[in-house]
Amino acid sequence: MSEKFDVIVVGAGPSGNAAAYTAAKAGLSVLQIERGEYPGSKNVQGAILYANALEQIIPDFRDDAPLERHIIEQRMWVLDDESFVGTHFRSDDYNKPPYNRYTIIRAQFDKWFSSKVKEAGALVICETTVECLLMDGDQVVGVRCDRQGGEVFADVVILADGVNSTLARKAGFHGEIQAGNVALAVKEILFMPQETIEARFNVKDEEGVVIEMFGKITDGLMGTGFLYTNKDSITLGVGCMLSDFKSNPNRTSPYAMLEKMKAHPSIAPMIAGGEMKEYCAHLIPEGGFHAVPKVFGNGWMIVGDSGGFVNAVHREGSNLAMTTGRLAAETAIAAKAAGKGFAAKQLAGYKSALDESFVMKDLHKYRDMPSVFHDNSQFFTTYPELVNRAARTMLTVDGIDKKTKEKEIFSSFRKSRSLAGLAGDAFKLWRAFR
Amino acid sequence: MSTVVNVEEKLFQNRYKVDHGRPHIKIRQPELCRNECKVQSCTFVCPAACYKAEGNGAVTLITDGCLECGSCRIICTELSNVEWEYPRGGHGILFKFG
Repeated sequence: MSEKFDVIVVGAGPSGNAAAYTAAKAGLSVLQIERGEYPGSKNVQGAILYANALEQIIPDFRDDAPLERHIIEQRMWVLDDESFVGTHFRSDDYNKPPYNRYTIIRAQFDKWFSSKVKEAGALVICETTVECLLMDGDQVVGVRCDRQGGEVFADVVILADGVNSTLARKAGFHGEIQAGNVALAVKEILFMPQETIEARFNVKDEEGVVIEMFGKITDGLMGTGFLYTNKDSITLGVGCMLSDFKSNPNRTSPYAMLEKMKAHPSIAPMIAGGEMKEYCAHLIPEGGFHAVPKVFGNGWMIVGDSGGFVNAVHREGSNLAMTTGRLAAETAIAAKAAGKGFAAKQLAGYKSALDESFVMKDLHKYRDMPSVFHDNSQFFTTYPELVNRAARTMLTVDGIDKKTKEKEIFSSFRKSRSLAGLAGDAFKLWRAFR
Repeated sequence: MSTVVNVEEKLFQNRYKVDHGRPHIKIRQPELCRNECKVQSCTFVCPAACYKAEGNGAVTLITDGCLECGSCRIICTELSNVEWEYPRGGHGILFKFG
């Protein structure tokens, strides 16, 4: 392997596949290198696919992509130990094609996406780990793989190597990830008959439900849980900031947290009888705007999780991944057409395209959110408990008049948080969300 | 939370291609874990329980069940005692569903 390509893409997740597909489709010679046995075998996601980002790349993806269920109902649950308070949003609007979002199983989806990349003309090599970037002075000129004579060259290397961003780190483009900027999530996939899922979640055919949760399931740490319905399986997971796992005096392991969540009286009946067939763990870059590193330089661009492109507030990642991958490829295509080389100056269009897209706009909008939640654990401990207690007090019919109940609820809030604390929390939330 | 959970049962459901004799993660200086690290957070944060706190204060590492998340490297900030690479191509965890 001492060929030279226009573009080398490292990694075959959503961002890498979007980049390789876009570049190959435009006629560039593309080599994509994946360390897994097949594309998807190293990749973990919840997983929700937002249609729009993929539509921009493969408009007719619905024809043959492996999609599980389209989401018609979104639930938000705030839990304490015995109960939850929640909102459900279900709309028949979500039942009109083209559907807006789907649950997917990543190993299958990534394999499908990769087949499209190959059809577009890219050369895809699996079971090959890229060890480092090859440099000529300060210009990236290729990669070294763990195969014999594994040096390959290209004008541009697109780093789609995932959240650990090993290659850019080794090359000194950015430093080690901070534990406060990533969430560690674990999940299980539980199989059960399609009819069981449809009965339990009040859906039919290919309709699906997602439940996002926070509160006592995360042991007082900043984190969230989720439950997604697939065709004949349920994905259930929980995640917290890695820095919180590390400094938790209870020394709770992620799998103990997951087990406790599965045993919650509101969750256990939904997953009862499910056959667990896989257990996964993954880091999610949640540092947001301030944690995005330098994303391009001489002969290189970073896309997807590797660049920290995740909107943690809205639980969006794969759509940012695909969009950044597409924009990086379009930048490479433009640079090739301009014929002025592939130095940082020629790739600067990538950053401006990101800034103009929803990717950086959304990250900028929520730039203060990670620190607000991180420094104010009451949002994940005190409030869920208070809200659940308030609901219980108000809805329990026991001969106590409602006015007295109201007073009791108010004083329970006052006892746990001062008035100034309550007002301050509201202000912090407003400022971070606006 | 003091639930005792057997993570091995979970990992048993997963598919791995173990690169025998070539662990992709190493503890650089085991004596640092024993003498300098009080918290030994890797022993409870690792989602595959690859790190074990031994009775004598040492930390041992078996990477066979590793899910390749990277947490152990990132949390070992004070001592930077984790040497972390991805497994050789085709080895390690092979997600069936992901």
